Amino acid sequence: MTSTATSDRRGAALLDVQDLAIEFDTEAGVARAVDGVSFQLREGHTLGIVGESGCGKSVTALSILRLLPQPMGRIAGGRILFRGEDLVTAPGERIRRVRTGEIGMIFQEPMTALNPVHRVGRQLSEAFLLHQDISPRTALERSIAVLERVGIPSPELRVSEYPHQLSGGMRQRVVIAMALACRPAIVIADEPTTALDVTIQAQILELMKELQDEMGMSIILITHDLGVIAETCDEVLVMYAGRVAEQGTVRDIFARPSHPYTRGLLESIPRLEHPRKTMLRTIEGMVPSLMDLPAGCRFNNRCRYAQERCRETAPRLEPMQDAHDVSCHRWRELPAWQEPVA
Amino acid sequence: MSAPLLEVQELRTWFPVRGGVFLAARGQCRAVDGVSLSIWPGETLGLVGESGCGKSTLGKSVVRLVRPTSGRILFEGTDLAGLSMRQLKPFRREIQMIFQDPGDSLNSRLTVGHMLEEPFLIHGIGDENSRRERVQDLLRTVGLQPSAIDRFPFEFSGGQRQRIGIARAIALNPKLVICDEPVSALDASIQSQILNLLLDLQQRLGLSYLFIAHDLAVVKHVSDRIAIMYLGNVVETGDGEEVHRHPRHPYTRALISAIPQPVPGRTRHRQVLVGEVPSPIHPPPGCPFQTRCPQVQPVCREQKPPLREVAGAGRSAHSVACHFDL
Repeated sequence: MTSTATSDRRGAALLDVQDLAIEFDTEAGVARAVDGVSFQLREGHTLGIVGESGCGKSVTALSILRLLPQPMGRIAGGRILFRGEDLVTAPGERIRRVRTGEIGMIFQEPMTALNPVHRVGRQLSEAFLLHQDISPRTALERSIAVLERVGIPSPELRVSEYPHQLSGGMRQRVVIAMALACRPAIVIADEPTTALDVTIQAQILELMKELQDEMGMSIILITHDLGVIAETCDEVLVMYAGRVAEQGTVRDIFARPSHPYTRGLLESIPRLEHPRKTMLRTIEGMVPSLMDLPAGCRFNNRCRYAQERCRETAPRLEPMQDAHDVSCHRWRELPAWQEPVA
Repeated sequence: MSAPLLEVQELRTWFPVRGGVFLAARGQCRAVDGVSLSIWPGETLGLVGESGCGKSTLGKSVVRLVRPTSGRILFEGTDLAGLSMRQLKPFRREIQMIFQDPGDSLNSRLTVGHMLEEPFLIHGIGDENSRRERVQDLLRTVGLQPSAIDRFPFEFSGGQRQRIGIARAIALNPKLVICDEPVSALDASIQSQILNLLLDLQQRLGLSYLFIAHDLAVVKHVSDRIAIMYLGNVVETGDGEEVHRHPRHPYTRALISAIPQPVPGRTRHRQVLVGEVPSPIHPPPGCPFQTRCPQVQPVCREQKPPLREVAGAGRSAHSVACHFDL
């Protein structure tokens, strides 16, 4: 949520994901949900991962903390370097320490992240007690302090309530408080505001921004909402069918989207400034099944620019310019981008 | 100027809240609490609001899936609010509904053909062959292959299932279609396909829509006029462009400013509302928005502001339920 120049993008990365592949065993065979995804997260930055259902954005996030559904899911290749240490091969004991202290996670539906039979205070205190040699009483005091910080009114009363007694927005604040309790270096937020109303979403995004400024953590934000990306992220990864279609700074991607899929997404969202009742540009067809991917570029069957070579060979992610990579054979030949807003 | 197709007057739909040993009614959930609105032939009225504001209950009251507590629902002059199920039957052809989740609203044990044939059977229209032909026409109209007729809902994607839901809704050539969050379960690239289909069908078939959704950008795109709901009440209504450009109610302003725009680096003043929506079981006295309103005054805590016209009249009126001219 800072916006510094990205010329030293290859510099100090807190998290460096290299050539990640994730597979799932299904009844129909092995599905490769993520195939050769690489990205870096820099200190104090927010990286957005955007794409439609099934593009692999959530499993990418889950795999960082080795939280893939077991036993069907596994990391089939690649490295996830956190401060130089490969989390893919790290022992289980080490991963547990990373999960509880160094990398926090916020899920879409806060009710599933909270234990319904324990009081809020007990769940929060647990996060403190796991790492710090403090008394339960001190842990509870700290829980109250952190609840106050995330904007929960009368936290000293709320700690003795159960999750179902809180509203959706309040529950998400509790989950944020848990994720931030031990001041992690990275927070992974998987659709943190999708289940919330738009005025509550604004509150939660504002809160995350404030906390980031205060604590200097890095954020990976998974969302399907390009508006949320534009307003909160520094860099963005656009995913389609398990691969990266395009990546770069938010500024570049929105000003010069260079993959036909990114363009299609930007054109298809209704905007307040659009003249009403006009036809929207659409992306024809639908996302292919992972078991039945088209040969060549995975977007070719929906792409209005597809040619013979797109149906034969998969494009490689190539640098377009500094800090902006695109995976399209024809990016140089696409017509100049026109802002969809009239 | 023609008469409205639908005129909802002072509609209230309250649900009893039960509890205790004998499930006695302990209170009332005022889901819809005195709403008036009109829809003219061929137009779309967009209804926007956050979860729990009563927008879906209002839609369901209009098709009489729930029975309103009081008020009138005038459809071409006939009040539907008090009619019996039998008396309602002819109106069921005229008013249809599209639901949010096409997976839940389609019977998974019927083929698409059987499902789409049902409306004709219920109303005794045509023979077997003509019905099958009509169903295939319908499938083509909504952009599906006629071969879909012998397949089951699970064989289709979310977007295709929503097309089936739309085909069912338009089967009997209704005049009014209530669209309840028809695209909110769909991905962005599919959402635009369905919105285009709805716009296209409206033009071709002369449909009127009550389009209910939580996403103001989507609603504004498909609607002629819009109404903003908050806690069971319409707080502002008017021409879509006018309400977007010159919102008069503090809630409308906050709602517009809360929508994340896909334009990075845009500097604008975001007004973040504090607090949350009160429960419709215990609505606050006075103005429903007073607990969160940044401009709240003493009078707002005592008197409920009526919806009053601030510009224009009739169909082109811009009305707002606020004590003040902001």
